[in-house]
Amino acid sequence: MKKRILCVPLDPVHDVGIKIIRNELDKHGHKTELLSPDLPMEEIVKHAAFGKYDFIFVSRTLGYGVAELLARFNDYLDAAGVRETSRIVIGGKPITPELAAELGFDKGFGANSTMDEIIAYVEGKAIESTTVGLKREKKNFTDKYSYKFHNKEIESLLSDISDKVISWAKGKTSDGIQRAELRKEIIHSKNEQEKEKIYKKYNAISDPSIVDSNQKRQYIKGVRKVTDEELEQLNLFLTQNHPVAPQKIQHHDKHPLLFKFLGSGCPLLDIIHGKICERWGIDGFLVINPSWEARYEGLLDGYLTHENDGTITSFSNINLLRKSLDPSTLLTVRAHRGLNTPETVMLAGEAGADMVKINLVYGSLGAGTDPERLAVDGIYAIKLAGEHKMPFDIPGNDELSGVPAWKTLAGLLINVMLGIKLSAQPILKPLFCYGPHIVINGQMKNNYIDYNVAKINALRQIVDSPIWPGEPIAFMTQTEERVQAANANSYHAALAASLAVDAITVASTDEAYSRGPICITSRIDTIRAVTDAFRFLGNADFAPTQQAELFTEEIITKITEVLREVNKAENLPQAIYSGCLGNKDDGAYPGKFGKGTIK
Amino acid sequence: MTTALEKVMDALDIETYLVCKDANEGKQLALQLGREMNLGDIDIMYEEYDGYGMRVRLRKYVYRPSNHYNWLESKNKDKEQGQ
Repeated sequence: MKKRILCVPLDPVHDVGIKIIRNELDKHGHKTELLSPDLPMEEIVKHAAFGKYDFIFVSRTLGYGVAELLARFNDYLDAAGVRETSRIVIGGKPITPELAAELGFDKGFGANSTMDEIIAYVEGKAIESTTVGLKREKKNFTDKYSYKFHNKEIESLLSDISDKVISWAKGKTSDGIQRAELRKEIIHSKNEQEKEKIYKKYNAISDPSIVDSNQKRQYIKGVRKVTDEELEQLNLFLTQNHPVAPQKIQHHDKHPLLFKFLGSGCPLLDIIHGKICERWGIDGFLVINPSWEARYEGLLDGYLTHENDGTITSFSNINLLRKSLDPSTLLTVRAHRGLNTPETVMLAGEAGADMVKINLVYGSLGAGTDPERLAVDGIYAIKLAGEHKMPFDIPGNDELSGVPAWKTLAGLLINVMLGIKLSAQPILKPLFCYGPHIVINGQMKNNYIDYNVAKINALRQIVDSPIWPGEPIAFMTQTEERVQAANANSYHAALAASLAVDAITVASTDEAYSRGPICITSRIDTIRAVTDAFRFLGNADFAPTQQAELFTEEIITKITEVLREVNKAENLPQAIYSGCLGNKDDGAYPGKFGKGTIK
Repeated sequence: MTTALEKVMDALDIETYLVCKDANEGKQLALQLGREMNLGDIDIMYEEYDGYGMRVRLRKYVYRPSNHYNWLESKNKDKEQGQ
């Protein structure tokens, strides 16, 4: 039944909120009347008494003396008999249900109230459950790209470089590749005796520390098993709690998806952080493993928690994360560090991850793995990612060591061409950062915009590929100061939105704090900051200076020069050893884990 | 009885401005504040002395990864008991 509602802006000026509510009530077919602001109280009460309304909606900002004024208003309504026929409702930003009751109103709506709640109250219905649960669909941001090269010289160089390294790696294998194949057999085997036999083979090519952990439960320091009770508690927590009034960060279609890292060490904490971040609008997560995993041949088994940075990427842990996060949430797993790249990709694929993180060049130059080992393992892993229909994202974090952007971007492009040739879907991840090379050479002396824009424009002029700046954005522009860190993230995110890139990885306001794990409030800080930045920018754009074009040209020229040098080398690992993609002067060193282990 | 502090998911940050004569005194006061609030040892995440006092961000980890989280345990117990 349609209601009669009187809307009263009991305020000298502010009547915007009540006008918005009135419009919605009208749309739902209710009969409303809106009084003008700042009418004398007596006149309002007279109007309310005369009209026989079902509801009197009062809007008022709070300030000194307002409580007394509202109490007097309620007394007048009582005296005029209005309360016998009408329900009196108050709305305003600081209004809470408790405050409304205290002031003598039948109901109150505040800053966190939704229009659905107001309509449901007026119509006497239960609040619809649309405010509970995410109800969103998983996004795909690779399918729309053709991976066609616009720059033919670069395409030709990358093709030669990729063909040479694929041909060099052909027929070569490693313990890492063999373990990936054994692991797949273990996952799919239904026969315990058969599993036992496969485990023996697996253990024979694994580090003794890994074997002891998996067999004797003598874990590496700081690692322990997640108990069955803890798993039950998690399950109960996730069953009993759901996202209320989930937020959307993007204000416009061109705004990128938002990713955050998960890697506290504890899968339970990661999952609960993840669930909260989902509610605040985060679209996906990157699972970051402990750095020591890179040094060991073999991976740990089971549900495991870890006191220090990095969550153990066991099959059980990845699977638990996948099952606990919303089906619409994207999940990518870091795979390219160390000696377990193929197996990590295998586990990610089997456990239902959406993407994996692989960069053959950065994994060698900035993450400690021997270039030959990572070339053989990485090519296998990229192929595997393609078979599992998992796009692979290629972070350019070698730039943080001091490698110039053009060398890093050349490395990313090599991975893109490898992906194309190995039937996988690569994603470019240039950094939005104030990297050491930039600090020294002054490309960001005037602003943080031009050089970041130039990186994106250069890549777009070379190839039609998805672009996902990371990792995270705003690297080396943040401090431990909360407001500054939130601002730095939001400005870089707004720049990414202006450039209409596909996704970004966002840090937290404690990212620069290195003495403890990231906490949930710091995660929410930057999400809130980016949400506001997207709302502020909408479909408008940043305007880079002419310098951005000069930087773009320079970057493309230098990428071409780097690729010519790389192509002169016998193969990609030799090019990395010789420093073409980053050398000692750049702060980049070919890694040593797994040196001489290619078979 | 469950305390509110046990319900903190992971860390408690305190942001404030301490009036002090120099950075050293500011740091001492920050640490003292943690003790006075019965938080024990707290970490100074960020401090900047400006001549009048110090803007600080302080952190106390209630739980670290791999700990047993009371909020996970007690919450479920509360609900089971219909509280």
